[in-house]
Amino acid sequence: MNKTAFQHGNTGRMRIHVLPTKRFKTFAVSLYTGIPLAEDTVTATALTPFVLRRGTESYPETRQFREQLEQMYGAGFGFDVYKRGNYQMVQFRMDTINDSFVKNEGSLLEDSFAFLGEVVTRPALENGYFRSSYVQAEKENVRKKLEAIVNDKIRYASERCIEEMCRNEPYRLHPLGQRKDLEGITPESLYKAYRHWLDTASMDLYVVGDTTLEEVEQLVDKYFAFGSDSKECAYKQEVSTRKADEVRTVVEKMEVSQGKLNLGLRTSITYADEQYAAVLMYNGILGGYPHSKLFMNVREKESLAYYASSRYDGHKGIGTIQSGIEIQNYEKALEIIKKQLEEMRAGNITDLEMSQTKAMIRNLLLEIDDSAFEMIAYDFNRQFSGKDRPRAELLQQVEAIQIEDVKAAAATFELDTIYFLKGQKEE
Amino acid sequence: MEKLQFDNLQETLYKEVMDNGLHVYVLPKPGFQKMYATFATKYGSVDNHFRVEGQEEISVPDGIAHFLEHKMFEEPEGDIFATFASNGASANAFTSFDQTVYLFSATENIEKNLETLVNFVQHPYFTDQNVEKEKGIIGQEINMYLDNADWRVYFGLIEAMYKIHPVHIDIAGTVESISTITKETLYTCYNAFYHPSNMLLFVVGGVKPEEIFELVRSNQAAKDYKPQGDIKRLFDPEKEEVAEKRRIAKLAVSMPKCLFGFKEKHVGATGKELLRRDLTSKLMLDLLFGSSTELYQKLYDEDLISDGFSHEYNSSPQYAFSAVGGDTPDPDKLLARVQEEVDKILKNGFKEEDFERARKKKIGGYLRMLNSPENIAHEFTRYQFRDSDFFSVVQVYESITLKEVNDRLQEHTDWNQLAVSIVVNP
Repeated sequence: MNKTAFQHGNTGRMRIHVLPTKRFKTFAVSLYTGIPLAEDTVTATALTPFVLRRGTESYPETRQFREQLEQMYGAGFGFDVYKRGNYQMVQFRMDTINDSFVKNEGSLLEDSFAFLGEVVTRPALENGYFRSSYVQAEKENVRKKLEAIVNDKIRYASERCIEEMCRNEPYRLHPLGQRKDLEGITPESLYKAYRHWLDTASMDLYVVGDTTLEEVEQLVDKYFAFGSDSKECAYKQEVSTRKADEVRTVVEKMEVSQGKLNLGLRTSITYADEQYAAVLMYNGILGGYPHSKLFMNVREKESLAYYASSRYDGHKGIGTIQSGIEIQNYEKALEIIKKQLEEMRAGNITDLEMSQTKAMIRNLLLEIDDSAFEMIAYDFNRQFSGKDRPRAELLQQVEAIQIEDVKAAAATFELDTIYFLKGQKEE
Repeated sequence: MEKLQFDNLQETLYKEVMDNGLHVYVLPKPGFQKMYATFATKYGSVDNHFRVEGQEEISVPDGIAHFLEHKMFEEPEGDIFATFASNGASANAFTSFDQTVYLFSATENIEKNLETLVNFVQHPYFTDQNVEKEKGIIGQEINMYLDNADWRVYFGLIEAMYKIHPVHIDIAGTVESISTITKETLYTCYNAFYHPSNMLLFVVGGVKPEEIFELVRSNQAAKDYKPQGDIKRLFDPEKEEVAEKRRIAKLAVSMPKCLFGFKEKHVGATGKELLRRDLTSKLMLDLLFGSSTELYQKLYDEDLISDGFSHEYNSSPQYAFSAVGGDTPDPDKLLARVQEEVDKILKNGFKEEDFERARKKKIGGYLRMLNSPENIAHEFTRYQFRDSDFFSVVQVYESITLKEVNDRLQEHTDWNQLAVSIVVNP
């Protein structure tokens, strides 16, 4: 692993994290913002970045905005809206060429900050609020996106499973919000929600590239216009992982060729927990890789599926299993999947499974160094969870895990929800 | 070992051709932890009719290149994924129209993993039983794609354009076509296309070129490959015009998906000429349909397109076409408006300043891609199989003129060559 680490600073409103390196051809810039996931703010928060990317003070027309990015040698600009733990995240990203590769006058890093700073803090306005045409169009856009979730059956089934499982907590909410809220949003109400978000969201700004912490701090001061009374805001982690309810089965019908079988599990172990490394091993052995129990048994031994895997969300304390199967094979596939869960609980794990999974996790952690955005994402876990666990330390913890530890981790997982998406026709 | 330096990109590429004809390339990325390697054969879904010099002409079932890719991972001692996992490597493979690529990434055990990759791809092991078993798995893969609206609308467009050329056949084939595959047909295809002279090994990352070449040299020297004659890929003549003007598929979608594009009348270019035409076409499409264009913004404001509206250009020596579109509430209105607006642009051509900006964007996009070892390996191999030089992309972009792009616009956007693919709710 490279002996490089983020340098951390603070501008009063934002935490700043900079990794100076010449390894990449670009400056990678990422701004993480998060507010607690809540029914009354989720839709406005989701809609905000869509309106922000329509225009700024200097580039009020969307075409001007996009032409400016093209002038900066096609700088990458984008954002994601997603859930992390009990927070709703809006993450902005920019990826701009290092000037040494192009015949550019000026500084593309400075241009990037000038751009991102405007996007976040100086949007295009009319009568003191957002432009109504932009708000109207982006409301439509978000509505279409929410409706389009059903088009991707794999993703749809996975999100429906979580929604059913968490139906009594804010985590049921989709990160893009609720369709029913969209209609009532006005340029004024959205602008007020935006100002509140700008004042209260937790913010972390990351830069990886050929620069320094000092330079970045100066650029932030120069280009981000926060209110004078806005303050830094840390993430709060309430330890509130829920116990699984009785196992609930949800079956939904739709016009599909292939059935989607998804399982949701609960665990008390989250990112900050001492047992986190053991859960990474648990998930890896169960279904993280092509050598894992799910792939080997559901796919390779029984030819029941093309994909069969598991995931672990350490910020929420949830495990999921997903597979695409022939509809009439539901019982058989479910039985085989449950059998794998039992095997994990019983600690029926071979030394080979242990060593292969350790090697794969090790590779995953070492590879992070080769991607600017991956390094950023790993460091952000610390800002988010409050748990400082450098990669070298996590690596050591994983190496030290024994079968007994995985078995103990398995004991914390409880099946909560079985979701099956099947065809319209009766079998 | 040949050394090729690209100062403008700050990259150095090393090359060597093995005695058996295998082309090996190494691109060191100083400071990178991982090594990423691809072992590719110039053999994809379109190669279903061929003759190896000195042998019989043969036609094989649709989807066999992809089936072969799946089956290569099985060895007498078990699944090769397990071997990679033991050495901490993440392995995979994919099949496209004209290539099959096996790959892994690893941060440790570089030699072992590279040998595993080369050895398993050079060691076929097919039995009646393991071939039958795979039909269930691939059947589920085919079903998964049948439910994928983006895939269906994309393939619908190619089916509308091409009647004869096998590019219109789904890469995985159909449940029926793969049912006829046997271990014998797999061996036939393997022996024809997996000869080292038809393959390319690309290694990128924190590696030392001489060590890689030494390893591959001795690995290949220990294997007994007889020289193989040329492979003739046989294609029946494809008509200039599109097979169908419009294809419609039914699938549960929230909103219709509409993809349209133009089938090129003239193909056959290779090497530098093919690359230049490919990049000129991409610039042209970006100037026409890119998200900063007047046309894009108008269509967005009219609520006819949304964020997913995109464009691509796909070209090879035998087929070439554009594909443009996304979700739309009204495919017919979208098409009418596109035709109306594109006809206006056809009268005057593009403006110099827009052209310069689009060029900058393309060059920047290419440079950003060079951060990714995966993209470098994939793109380099794809270009190489078309006798094009991946590392000349910036130079070509810099030399393309506005006139060329305007000429390309006139030639490509021929409404007689338009095909449309739509996916709607049943």
